Amino acid sequence: MSTKNNNQKKLNTSIPVIATSYIGPALTPNRDAIWEEGKLPLNTDGLVNEIMGQPMRRAGRFIKMVCCGGLACLQKVSLDYLKGKKTGIFLATGLGNVDEIMPFITQVFKHGGGFPSPNQFANSVSNAAAFVLARICEVTGTVLTISQEELSFESALWLAQSYLESGEIELALVGGCDIFTPTIEEYRERVNLTPDNSRLMPMGEGSSWLLLGNGDGEKIGDILAVDFGDKLIPPEEFSASENILSQSEKLLSASFSKDSAGQKKIRFLLPGFRVNKIETDFWKLKGWKIDDYLPFCGIHSTSPAFGIARALREKPSAIFVHYNCHASGKQAFVVASTK
Amino acid sequence: MTNGDIYVCGWGAVTSLGWSAPDSARNLIAGNVPPAAVGVSSHLINREYKAFEVSYSGNPLDKSMAMLESALAEAFLRAELSVEEIAESSVLVGTTGGLFIRNEYEFTEAVRKNPDKESPAISCRNRGPGEVADLIVNKYGIRGMALTFSMACVSSSHALVVAADLLKRKKIRRAIVVGFEPLLNMTLHGFASLLLFDYDQCRPFCATRAGMQIGEAAAVVILDAEKSSSTKYKFAGGYQYNDIKSMTSAGIDGVTVSEVVQKTLTSTRVSADDIVAIKAHGTGTRDNDLSEGRGLVKLFGEKLPPVVSLKGAIGHTLGAAGAVETAVWLSCCEEEAIPRSFGFTQIDPELGFAPSQINTPAPSGAYLFTYFGFGGTCTSYLIIKE
Repeated sequence: MSTKNNNQKKLNTSIPVIATSYIGPALTPNRDAIWEEGKLPLNTDGLVNEIMGQPMRRAGRFIKMVCCGGLACLQKVSLDYLKGKKTGIFLATGLGNVDEIMPFITQVFKHGGGFPSPNQFANSVSNAAAFVLARICEVTGTVLTISQEELSFESALWLAQSYLESGEIELALVGGCDIFTPTIEEYRERVNLTPDNSRLMPMGEGSSWLLLGNGDGEKIGDILAVDFGDKLIPPEEFSASENILSQSEKLLSASFSKDSAGQKKIRFLLPGFRVNKIETDFWKLKGWKIDDYLPFCGIHSTSPAFGIARALREKPSAIFVHYNCHASGKQAFVVASTK
Repeated sequence: MTNGDIYVCGWGAVTSLGWSAPDSARNLIAGNVPPAAVGVSSHLINREYKAFEVSYSGNPLDKSMAMLESALAEAFLRAELSVEEIAESSVLVGTTGGLFIRNEYEFTEAVRKNPDKESPAISCRNRGPGEVADLIVNKYGIRGMALTFSMACVSSSHALVVAADLLKRKKIRRAIVVGFEPLLNMTLHGFASLLLFDYDQCRPFCATRAGMQIGEAAAVVILDAEKSSSTKYKFAGGYQYNDIKSMTSAGIDGVTVSEVVQKTLTSTRVSADDIVAIKAHGTGTRDNDLSEGRGLVKLFGEKLPPVVSLKGAIGHTLGAAGAVETAVWLSCCEEEAIPRSFGFTQIDPELGFAPSQINTPAPSGAYLFTYFGFGGTCTSYLIIKE
């Protein structure tokens, strides 16, 4: 039976955010720093030592980034915070562990027969990173690796929210990680970038995480809604400010009553990398500010995780709408607020 | 975890045994099961590795697309879904390789067409595992959620359990669960490098087992919270679990396996005594079969129902295994027979049981499905034939 008015793809149950962390291509946790596309990827040794306190010798770069991002998020509450609580890990990645796959497959196709490394193959399996993070955090149960190109993080957030809402888990560690992999031209192709479907920005990388759940009143904010559009729009409409504003206002109205304190908070639009034109004056006129996070993380499939985690951490008493589009035209909105 | 009434309303599969789930089932039941053979596909660069390859006259990229389309069309037809019903559904894909076949095919073609030139390094142009779901979404105009699980061997079995969870919570209208795994040099060489490859024959639960053999397949299983008049298979509930003791096995003492299956039985309120048969993961690797076999014996004891691994007949279809083995098993149930487990000759004293060696009837009742993958991943679920 067909159901025309089903409410799928929309989650409007507010979920508390206990902690967040963001790491971009400069590899400086929770700090904005200058970086250059031409010098990427940077060595992760310093980051690993800073976050993990010891080297991760057998892990590849993707696994290191996932673990550093996840643990940086947990620094606020400590690992012990998870003990005795049903916790889920939701790792979003658009491209997965290309960093390990490419050298492995290059060896496989080497003239005269190469010697592919078993360790490299084991590390290249997409859920290896989530396993290592789960083991460090001693989390068993729901540990999922979700991939949906540039909507990977929004999809993982939606799924985590549904598991939290059902009560099956009490806490969710939700993160997005994609790493810089040469060549730049091939990387741009992997992320499906064309001049008409994205902003002209350097390619980047990141590992950014949110700890969600009822945290005994310690929350820094809330994820108010995760909403995917019902229709596919053409690239020329990706940046249509009127439409983005209209949908954002609708979502905010559903989250706050008209006279609530939430309505009085500063409003920020966080535009994703498919938005190739930002009409700053239009948004200013409507009372919105733009939080353009992309210069700090560059384009990567899970850059929305960086933008949302950074805004939740750095901008108190505000409301955010993160907006992005899939190249095929599917829209995704994430609404969040801070205390 | 699910324990509501979710129904399997359609399925389809392409395996090395046939281009539909009933074809594969009939060949299994009749014993028309050719052994794994050296791959003939033009992109395969090594002629040592035997695999269960889908037959096709054409290039491997076209074959992969044809497999996916065939499995989808078969499942939609069986479920009698209209265009609008397909569009309002959600797609959950389980795959490890995604469309990596395109890279391998284009690279080997470039080398073949330029025999005198030194080839450049292979490039990676695919957009990650999510590309398969995107392909389906665009082709069928799907407006529901698209989610891809890239979680090694449990990718599509996890997708089935998550889909059932989301249906039970009324978060999605209907689930089209897809398993897709074209035959890749990457995985053939990968498992060989891990010394997990049996160069002779895949022998699940056999004392002489020496590893797995990879199978190529695409499959689709459609889950719905609404029961149609023709639906007779209930997805009674499932459990997906991540263990952190070992990246490569579920623990050879069998404790984890036993607990995962027990959790499924408890959540579905089905007694171990009521299980008609077990569709085991049974990869043919020493550790997997040891942990799974011991776990099943620990739980079922002397009342162990018939245990069948399909991997001796269609190979290990990796991330597609959940959807593929479910689809083929249900078609076997439609034929009223559970096939024997292929590749077995000798009882392993460490396990103390033989997998089913004769075809058995497929009466109404509860069938248990188990999967254990890389990264400590475990899935089990029950499907009840009404």
